[in-house]
Amino acid sequence: MIGALFLGGIAVWLAGAAACLALWREPALARRVGCAAALAGAALEGAGSAAAIFGGGAATIGLPFGNPLFTCAVRLDPLSAFFNLTLAVLAAAVSVYSFGYLRHMEGRRNLGAFGFFFNLLLASLTLVFTAANAFFFLVAWESMALASFCLIGFEHEKARARRAGVLFLIMSHAGTGLLLIAFLLLTSASGSTDFASFHLLASRMAPLEQGAIFLLFLFGFGVKAGLVPVHIWLPEAHAASPSNVSALMSGIVIKTGIYGMARVFFDFYGPPPLWMGTTVLALGVASALLGVLYALMEHDLKRLLAYHSIENIGIILMGFGAALLFRSLGQTNLAALALIAGLYHTFNHATFKGLLFLGAGSVVEATGTRNMERMGGLIRRMPVTAVCFLVGAVAISGLPPLNGFVSEWLTYQALLAGFGTTSSMTRLVFPIAGSLLALTAALAAACFVKAFAIPFLALPRSEEAAEAREAPAEMRAGMGMLAVGCVVLGLGAAWFVRVFDSITEQTLGIRSSAALVTARGFALSPGTPHGGTISPFGIALLFLIAGVAFAWPLALRWKRRSVRGPAWDCGLPGLTADNEYTATAFSKPLRMIFSALYRPRREIQAEYEVSPYYPSAIRFESEIEPAFEKRIYAPLRERILAGANRMRAIQAGSIHAYLAYIFIALVLLLLFGVRE
Amino acid sequence: MPIKPLYDMQLGERIVTLMAALVLVLQIAMVAQRWIVAHIRIFAAQSFFLAAIAATIAWYNHAPHIYVVAALTLIVKVMLVPILFERLVKRVEIQEEIAPIINVPISVVIAGGLTLVGYVVAESFYRPEEPGLGHNALAVAISLFLIGFFTMINRRKALTQVLALLSLENGLFLAAISLTYGMPLIVELGVFFDVLVAAMVLGILVFRIRESFDSMDVSRLRRLRG
Repeated sequence: MIGALFLGGIAVWLAGAAACLALWREPALARRVGCAAALAGAALEGAGSAAAIFGGGAATIGLPFGNPLFTCAVRLDPLSAFFNLTLAVLAAAVSVYSFGYLRHMEGRRNLGAFGFFFNLLLASLTLVFTAANAFFFLVAWESMALASFCLIGFEHEKARARRAGVLFLIMSHAGTGLLLIAFLLLTSASGSTDFASFHLLASRMAPLEQGAIFLLFLFGFGVKAGLVPVHIWLPEAHAASPSNVSALMSGIVIKTGIYGMARVFFDFYGPPPLWMGTTVLALGVASALLGVLYALMEHDLKRLLAYHSIENIGIILMGFGAALLFRSLGQTNLAALALIAGLYHTFNHATFKGLLFLGAGSVVEATGTRNMERMGGLIRRMPVTAVCFLVGAVAISGLPPLNGFVSEWLTYQALLAGFGTTSSMTRLVFPIAGSLLALTAALAAACFVKAFAIPFLALPRSEEAAEAREAPAEMRAGMGMLAVGCVVLGLGAAWFVRVFDSITEQTLGIRSSAALVTARGFALSPGTPHGGTISPFGIALLFLIAGVAFAWPLALRWKRRSVRGPAWDCGLPGLTADNEYTATAFSKPLRMIFSALYRPRREIQAEYEVSPYYPSAIRFESEIEPAFEKRIYAPLRERILAGANRMRAIQAGSIHAYLAYIFIALVLLLLFGVRE
Repeated sequence: MPIKPLYDMQLGERIVTLMAALVLVLQIAMVAQRWIVAHIRIFAAQSFFLAAIAATIAWYNHAPHIYVVAALTLIVKVMLVPILFERLVKRVEIQEEIAPIINVPISVVIAGGLTLVGYVVAESFYRPEEPGLGHNALAVAISLFLIGFFTMINRRKALTQVLALLSLENGLFLAAISLTYGMPLIVELGVFFDVLVAAMVLGILVFRIRESFDSMDVSRLRRLRG
């Protein structure tokens, strides 16, 4: 049953991909077929994964190809099924959205190719999450990377899209190289490529080897996840791709890195040494903080959201790092709490970040720009988009009662509980991480005040913004699905945490949702001695009561005697968009506070005609230093290019030289092989 | 008990060893050879002995399908390829003297050294407890391969390089037949087809190189470098 649903979903996606390719001359048909196949496949996968999660046991499904050494088996154990469910939920919403989003591309772009790569990406994602051996996993991993590359570069006439795609491909391949080494080390130790043979294997190896494999996996998967400092491809790729692809990239493609880490940390390793958890926690904190700080300075709506993906990956990894530390300390209950926090945030991030990217897509589509400074006042023209974006913004800022709040609260609880641990190092590490998480959350809220207010409120800042139109019904439906998801995952948190029972049982050997849920299923508590208790449902109810209590009398009065007048304009002749608060101005205080990181450069040139008090024109330029690109990647690129230049010497262009290289290598290898 | 001389394994091994030694001598003669046509004929003679080795192995191991392999070697390598190449030499009217990169005496010394390498490498595969044909044959095969490779590096003209490649392939053939007593026939057929196609493709390539560069000297391909 589960197997049939799962294979059916993959079959539908692959058939959809093939059909799109066949229909490339019929854009309207290709669009409908591609999106319908994506939606149908997502429905089947969602049903199969949900059945697998609640069924508990692992379903192993053999695929009808492969050979004895490299079997193509997939296994839907609870961890795989959870990520697959996340994929299915997001894919369904994005497919509905794409029905409308792709319509304007008809005739201008090859929608057959788009549908092909879109469905291929979904199919390879599901295989990444469920592959049961290292070889098949890497095949799925690479086909996912190639499909993503083609979708990022879909608007290939733009140089930035091409550059973003190539950057993604280079980084992704470097990461895969690390994974390959790590998997080969594990395979040579176990004698099999099957994931089942890797279970707890890494912990039985020599400490040095164990550490090396851990770091290889951490950075190999970290590249895809967008971990600082290997994150630089992410803002480029998410901004350059079509918005429905951005939603998928940010919502689920980067989660493949998280899935890989979860698989390695909690399946291949037993209780790890303390430094591993500390490393993950520290990198998580760095990603979260740097992600949100760079997001604050961004005025490109999609790049801003992309930097928030880095931040949220950081929050997820803080949960994972805490779980690893608790596992090292033997506190399984707390480890389960932290793991649940990380996984819950993974699911939540897929919903609210998917929603935000879809909303950004509608806005960019309507205004024709990604620059926030040229938007404004869109709430009047695009009310549904604005409300959906607001829901996403509230969720990502971690405000109650939506889903982002619940998972961030769980992460806090785990970090605070860590203060009660016995090891002196962790007593120090946990509170620091907790306070930095608080800082991150506050900065994220500030950032989304900007991200919502500048595009949606006040007066339009450009003609395009003034003439923006609301998105078509399919796009609103896609956004609406995810907005409802954000609310449900927030209010229904106490019911949803039961999903994680089978995962924590699989990885840590305990079922802990019963300890988390109190007040007859209406509230959550971390189950620790000094932990708090929250009830998102109760908070929502309070909001409702308070809102009604305050708004009702106001509404009555407003109806009776409201007088509308112009806003006070300081005596100037009328307020225009030029008087508005800009995104640059809004983020200025933070730019000053964190100037050590940003190293802002600004330049003001004014031209005067009569008196210095009345400039006729002012030019203002401000930019921040891209620290990672400039200090790490630029020198690295120089080195690689210089090395490549030096290696040109052996490329003599002479057949004899090439033959001689091969010959000498061959003789040396033969003699080397005989030596023993 | 009288020994049937015709099925005496020791005799068989001696015959194979003797012919393998001849093949090796011919390979070194190829290194020392200065005339293209003679080079082609030495290759044909070498291939003839190879076919003979295959037939001997077929006889002593009662493996009739190796006769097919021997016959194919006779047709393709002893007749077809040499005839093709001699016609090519006449048609393109190339200078018939070979100018090797490393001079002949040193080349022969290097070939001798490579034979030594071949024996050292083959030694590690030797299993005294598994009697049979071909311990020496493997050493000769590896030497053939290495010397053929070296000859390829040592030649300027595309045609002579092709010849060296084919003698290298003879080494592979000898290794295959002496270790496994004949691979499945289908594999052998595939190999022969490959040899034929390679000879034809390279023959065409020789023409093209000559047309483009007015010479068959592959050193001039250096001009293609970007």
